[in-house]
Amino acid sequence: MSTKSIFARVFALFLSLSLLLAACAPVVTPTPITEVIEKTVEVVVTSTPESVEPVEITYYTFSAAPDHLNDLDQMIQLFEAKYPNIKVKVETAPFDNYFTKLQTLIAGGVAPDVFELNYENFVTYAEKGLLLDLSPLLKTDSSIDSTIYYPRALEAFSYNGMQLGLPATFSTVMLFYNKDLFDAAGVAFPTADWTWADAVAAAKLLTDPTEGVWGLHSGVQFWEFYKKAAQNNCKFFNEDKTSVLINSPECVQALTTMVDFVKRDKVMPSAAEMGGVSDGDLFLSGKLAMDVTGIWMFAAFKDAPFKWDITVEPSMATKATHFFANAASIFAASKHPQEAYQWVQFFTSDPEMAKIRVDSGWELPALSNPAFFTDYLSQTPPSNRQAVFDSLQFAVVPPVIARQTEMQDGVGKLLDQVMLGQLTSQEALDQAKTLIERLLK
Amino acid sequence: MSEQSSQAISPTILTTNCPGSYRLKRRVSQSVLYLLLILGALVMIIPFAWMISTSLKTVQYVLTTPPQLIPNPATLDSYLRLFELYPIGRMLFNSLLVAGLTTLGQLVTCSMAAYAFARLKFRGHNLVFLFYLATLMVPFQVTITPLFILMRIFGWINTYQGLILPGVFSAFGTFMLRQAFLTIPLEYEESAYMDGASPLTIFLRIILPLSKPALATLTVFAFMGSWNAFLWPLFIVREQTMMTLPVGLATLQGRWLTEWNLVMAGTVITVLPMLSLYLFAQKYIVQGFVMSGLKG
Repeated sequence: MSTKSIFARVFALFLSLSLLLAACAPVVTPTPITEVIEKTVEVVVTSTPESVEPVEITYYTFSAAPDHLNDLDQMIQLFEAKYPNIKVKVETAPFDNYFTKLQTLIAGGVAPDVFELNYENFVTYAEKGLLLDLSPLLKTDSSIDSTIYYPRALEAFSYNGMQLGLPATFSTVMLFYNKDLFDAAGVAFPTADWTWADAVAAAKLLTDPTEGVWGLHSGVQFWEFYKKAAQNNCKFFNEDKTSVLINSPECVQALTTMVDFVKRDKVMPSAAEMGGVSDGDLFLSGKLAMDVTGIWMFAAFKDAPFKWDITVEPSMATKATHFFANAASIFAASKHPQEAYQWVQFFTSDPEMAKIRVDSGWELPALSNPAFFTDYLSQTPPSNRQAVFDSLQFAVVPPVIARQTEMQDGVGKLLDQVMLGQLTSQEALDQAKTLIERLLK
Repeated sequence: MSEQSSQAISPTILTTNCPGSYRLKRRVSQSVLYLLLILGALVMIIPFAWMISTSLKTVQYVLTTPPQLIPNPATLDSYLRLFELYPIGRMLFNSLLVAGLTTLGQLVTCSMAAYAFARLKFRGHNLVFLFYLATLMVPFQVTITPLFILMRIFGWINTYQGLILPGVFSAFGTFMLRQAFLTIPLEYEESAYMDGASPLTIFLRIILPLSKPALATLTVFAFMGSWNAFLWPLFIVREQTMMTLPVGLATLQGRWLTEWNLVMAGTVITVLPMLSLYLFAQKYIVQGFVMSGLKG
C-alpha cells in the first residue's frame, strides 16, 4: 500500500512538472509575433483602403464596464458612421482579471486588435514587442497633429523612440472632502497649501467614533506610497537605476507619516475597521470627512446626499500628485493595423469623443487644447474643478522598472506588513531595497 | 442542513417509563441542543438574508450604519436595471445549458471510465488509473493556456463546445464512481455473465442501477462546479451573449466602485437555481460529503 502511494506521488510530481513546462512554453516564446508583423506589413501595403467588405476590429477595455458601456457604444456609433467600412467589437473584463485574460488571448493567438493599457503595465507589453509602433502611421496621417495630445500623456506611451500607444485618458488624485461634516464640526475647509500636519489636525476634530465618522482615508499601498515619498523628496532609485534609495530617511519618514494616520493619530480606519467597505463607499455614505482618491470618482459621487468639494492633496516637504494615464495600443500582429489605427486615432483625439467623456465624467481626455475642458470646468460638483489642473503641475509619474508587477506586489506586501505591525517602516523599506535590487539585476 | 442534522442527532430512544428527573434532564439537554442548532442555522442564513435585503435597497442605503436588515424603501429597481443593462435571460440560459450538458457529459464519461477501472482487467490498468488520478494534482491555472491554444486550433473560442467540452471529463468523478462500483459484489455480475450478458449489458443493467446514490452525488457536484465556474468561461467567452452568469456578474464590479445592490440582485438570480437543486437533492448532497470523506 505504502509503496503504491509513493509511486503515485512520484508520478503526480513528474506529471505536473511536465504539464507546467508545457504550459509555460507558448507564453515564453515570442518568436512567431515578429513573423506575423512582417506578414501584416505586406498586407497593409497591398490592400486597397476602399474595401467593400466591412472589417471588424476588436477593442478590449477595462475602463468602460460597468458604468460607461453606453458612452462607449455612443462613441462607436459615431465612429462607424464616419468609417462605414470598419466595425468595432467591444470586449470587456473586470480589472482584476483583465491582464490575465489579455495574456491568455495573446498566448492563444487570438489577441484583440486594440487594447487599453494603463501606464504601469504599458512598459511590460512594450518591452516584449507586443505593441505596434504608431509613429509611421501618425506621420503619414495628415488629419492629425500629435501636438493635439497632452504632451506628458503622449510622452508616457513612447518607448525607445517608438509611439506604442495613443493616450486616451488621464487622471489624478485629489483630496475630496465632505463639506457638511466640516461645517458640523466647525472646521475650516482644506486649502491647496495644507500640509499633512494640517490635515491630521483637522481630521482629529472630525473623527467621531460614536457616529462611526472617520476624519481621513489615504490608502497605504504602492501608488500612494510612491507619491507621498515624492512629497518628502524620497526617490526609489537614482536616475539610471544603478542605486536603490528606497530606505533613505526621507522615505522612512514618508511611510511613517502614512502609517501614523491609523496607528498614532487614529483618524483613519484600518483595513479591519473598514471591514471590506471601500473608502469610496465610506465617503459616499457620509462617514468619511476627507478621502484621497481619483477624479474618476466624480461620476460616482455626483448624487451624494451631502455637499462635497475637492482641493489639491496636502504636502510634506514639497507638493507631489499622481498622474495616471490610459492608452489605446494596437497589437503588433493585428491583421488590420490600418483600421485599428483609425479607431485609436478617432477614439483618443476626436472632439466629439472628448465631449462624451467630459459629459459622462469618464476621466479626462488626454488632449492639450484647453477648449476641451471648458465644459469640464463648468460642471459641478465639485465646484473647484480648477484644482484638478492645479494638481497636474505637481504630477509625478510612477517609478517603473521592467519587472513592474513584481515590484508593485512585493512593495505592497511589505507595506501591508507594516500596517499589521509585523515590520517597522525602516525594516520594511530595508527589505524593499533588497527586493528592488534583485529585480533590477 | 440544520434540519437534517437535528433529526440525526436527537434519536427517539426516549421510552415512556423513564423516571421524571431523567426526562427533565433529557429535555434540558435537548433544549440546549436546539438552541445551538438554531444559532447555527441563523449564522448560515444571515448572509442569504443580507444578500436578498441588499438587492432590494437603493444605492445610498446599501452601506448605512447601523445596517438596515429590512430595506426601507424596498424596491425592485436593482432587478429591473440589471435586466436592462445585461441580457440576463440569455446568461441564465447559457449557464443552464453549459452546466446541464457538462453534468450529463461527466455522468457518461466518468461512469464508463470508472467501470473500466473497477472491473476490466487490461494490461497496465493500475498504471493508467494512477495517471488519471495524478491529473487531480495539476491545478487548472497550469493547463489553462495550452487548453486555450487547443481550443483556438479547433476554432472553438466563443462557442458552446469550447465552454462545455473541456469540462465533461473529471478525474474526481471517475475516482468516486470507481470506489462506488468496487463496493458492488462481484457475484451479481458473475451470475449475469453466466446468463450471457455482455460487459455493456452488465454495466447498463446491473452496475448503474445499483449506483444511483453515487451518480446522484456526482450530478450535484458536477452541476455545482460547472455552475460556479469562472476562470474558464471568462477566458473562452468573448461576447456578452455567450457569457454565463458568474462572468456576467463579474463585469458588474467596477475598478473603483461597485454597486452592491446590483451585484446582490445578480447573485440572487445566480443562487436560485442552485438553491432549488439543493432542495430536491438534499439527501444526496449530504450523502456525497459523507462518502467523499470516507473514501478519500
